[in-house]
Amino acid sequence: MPQSSSSSKKHGTDQPDTGGPASKSQRTKMVKSSDDTEKKNLAKKLKELEISVPIVYGNIAFWLGKKASEYQSHKWTVYVRGGTNEDISVVVKRVVFQLHSSFNNPTRVVDGPPFELSESGWGEFEIVITLHFHNDVCEKPLHLYHHLKLYPEEDSGPMSTKKPVVVESYDEIVFTEPSEGFFSRVQNHPAVVVPRLPAGFALPPPVPLEDADKRRRGDTKDHTLSQWFSNFSEADELLKLAAARQQVQAHIATLRRQLSLIDGQHQQLKSASDILVHLR
Amino acid sequence: MDAKDILLGLPKPTTTPTPHGHQLLPLPADKKSRPPKESQRKPDGISREVYALTGGLAPLMPSVDVNHLKRRAQSENEKITWQWLPFTSSARKDNLQLYHWVRVVNGVPPSGDYSFAKYNKSVDVIKYTDDEYEKHLTDPMWTKEETDELFDLCERFDLRFIVIADRFPTSRTVEELKSRYYSVCRAILIARAPAPGDIAGHPLVKDAYNISQDVERKRALSMVLSQTKQQERRDAEVLAEAKRISEARKAAKGTDELEVPAMTDTVPDDNDGAAAAVDSLSPSPNAQFTSGAIAPPVSEIASTLASLRMMRVYLRTHALEQMVQAASSSAGLRTIKRVEQTLQDLGVNLKPKVPTKAVCAEHLELRKEILTLLNLQKQLQYKEAEGSSYRDGLYAETPGTPPKRVQRAVEQDRTFVPDSFSFGGERMGKRDQKRKAPGRLLEGPPSPAQSKRPRKFKASDG
Repeated sequence: MPQSSSSSKKHGTDQPDTGGPASKSQRTKMVKSSDDTEKKNLAKKLKELEISVPIVYGNIAFWLGKKASEYQSHKWTVYVRGGTNEDISVVVKRVVFQLHSSFNNPTRVVDGPPFELSESGWGEFEIVITLHFHNDVCEKPLHLYHHLKLYPEEDSGPMSTKKPVVVESYDEIVFTEPSEGFFSRVQNHPAVVVPRLPAGFALPPPVPLEDADKRRRGDTKDHTLSQWFSNFSEADELLKLAAARQQVQAHIATLRRQLSLIDGQHQQLKSASDILVHLR
Repeated sequence: MDAKDILLGLPKPTTTPTPHGHQLLPLPADKKSRPPKESQRKPDGISREVYALTGGLAPLMPSVDVNHLKRRAQSENEKITWQWLPFTSSARKDNLQLYHWVRVVNGVPPSGDYSFAKYNKSVDVIKYTDDEYEKHLTDPMWTKEETDELFDLCERFDLRFIVIADRFPTSRTVEELKSRYYSVCRAILIARAPAPGDIAGHPLVKDAYNISQDVERKRALSMVLSQTKQQERRDAEVLAEAKRISEARKAAKGTDELEVPAMTDTVPDDNDGAAAAVDSLSPSPNAQFTSGAIAPPVSEIASTLASLRMMRVYLRTHALEQMVQAASSSAGLRTIKRVEQTLQDLGVNLKPKVPTKAVCAEHLELRKEILTLLNLQKQLQYKEAEGSSYRDGLYAETPGTPPKRVQRAVEQDRTFVPDSFSFGGERMGKRDQKRKAPGRLLEGPPSPAQSKRPRKFKASDG
């Protein structure tokens, strides 16, 4: 969940007014220099932080049933969405889907949310999904690899036009050493996980560039296919991991006890053998 | 009649056909034509017999041209004779007259000393006066007569101590003789030197002969040379483990502040010296074994973190993959497979389905803990094997009553670790079985007497 930034502000605007113009200019000078060091500290702090964006990517494929032809047996959609269906276009500028070469214009570019591509076909193949980010976010693109799945597992019964085949993967995009502009722009956005800045540091709230309507449209909460989206909850996995760790730790403790016992045994044996050597 | 003659008879068969086909015996008519052929083919420069060794054929490539062979210089202008003449050698101190063949050139015999006299080198053995002996060289273990005798022999035999030890009237070891000789020389050197600084650089003064060290060195050398193959193997294993542990310690030094006891020298002392050496090794680094095994990956992990940071943008699954690799960098493929099997037994996905920051961190820590667990299990197996080697040593030395004494001492602890120290032949085979079953490791080592036997893990747990 996104954290709201610290509310304490130490910028010059909050300084109390206590004197004539001379002292004021002096004060602004002081304020400015402390501003500079603050900026440096802020920059340093930002270097150690990471901003992450949870995403889910995958495909949904419908069998066309009676309408299926030999080469168009399925209608499928490949997409990248926010982990909680929030709008990721705050970070992602455009997405390129590289399809199989048998498709016309296999390089499909999607310039805005929702970042998805629909096609019809019969074959399963690997799709390379390239995420391009806004300039202040990151200059390097990021590649995802998804194997398009159209046909259900063997044991799931006959194909149905009503129930699609859904394969989704959860992942998180991690941005290291975020720039100040990037940080301040996304610090309150629901699609982005921003760590809390340590007390004393703060960034000004972002100037809203887009109107709220446009922003809302970019999310996938009301997407036509949203009923098929999977729910990814870390709680289950965390619980399992914690339980597993406990068991392993208990086992380690047992083994350590046994080892120390055996050491004692060996000491006994060794002294016994020493005695025997002398007896010879 | 040699083989060539027989073979040369072949191309000219007789006109009268025999039931056996070609006649192999040469006919008298052929014999006459052969000798001229052979004399034609006789080569220059080498004798006929030598040429025949090549099979009667010239080599394809000339190896050495006869003209290139050295010719003796001045063999034409000089008259060389060989004469049996007497000679003297400066190496001989007696008047013995010896003779040998001498190459005389134009009637002039060669001059100069006997050519081998220059090899007659000897050692300058120090000679001390009685006065000097009284002052500096007395020793409770040596009489003056003995010392004098020693020095005489040293002079005669050029410090060949083996020979001197043989000839020495009283029985003294080579090391004792050496020690006496060198200490006497050293004392004389120091006594005669005008100032101590003059001879401070002399090797005898700087590094005096250390008799105990020499004795030890020779004993160790003979031990090493007379080791059996099995002992050699054991020593190699021990040294490899020592190397591994010291390397682990070097890495651990950078991260941990553990105190490390000094490693003892692993020169084998007795027949079961190798086992003793192993024992002296394992308890001391035992505490560090687990950290030692984990410590090397710390540097890998740090460098992986740094490289991830450099990437500016990456997927968390990718980061986890890299970190897992770094954490398992010191483990072999088999260990990694066992880790994965353990994860499956615990009901944990090999790759997390929801890789959030927290989940990935937990996953990584779990993997590291499983590695620790596997290391400890390996250690336990090792220790149990050690216990058996101890018993082997005991049995080898005392095949009688003493083992019972040891048995009683150990059996008191039987309730705690029963299976590991059972005596008697019938259990030996069981212990020696290697546990190669992949997975199922969480069921614990073979100690069934323990009441707390860990349950088999099920996916429904947790």
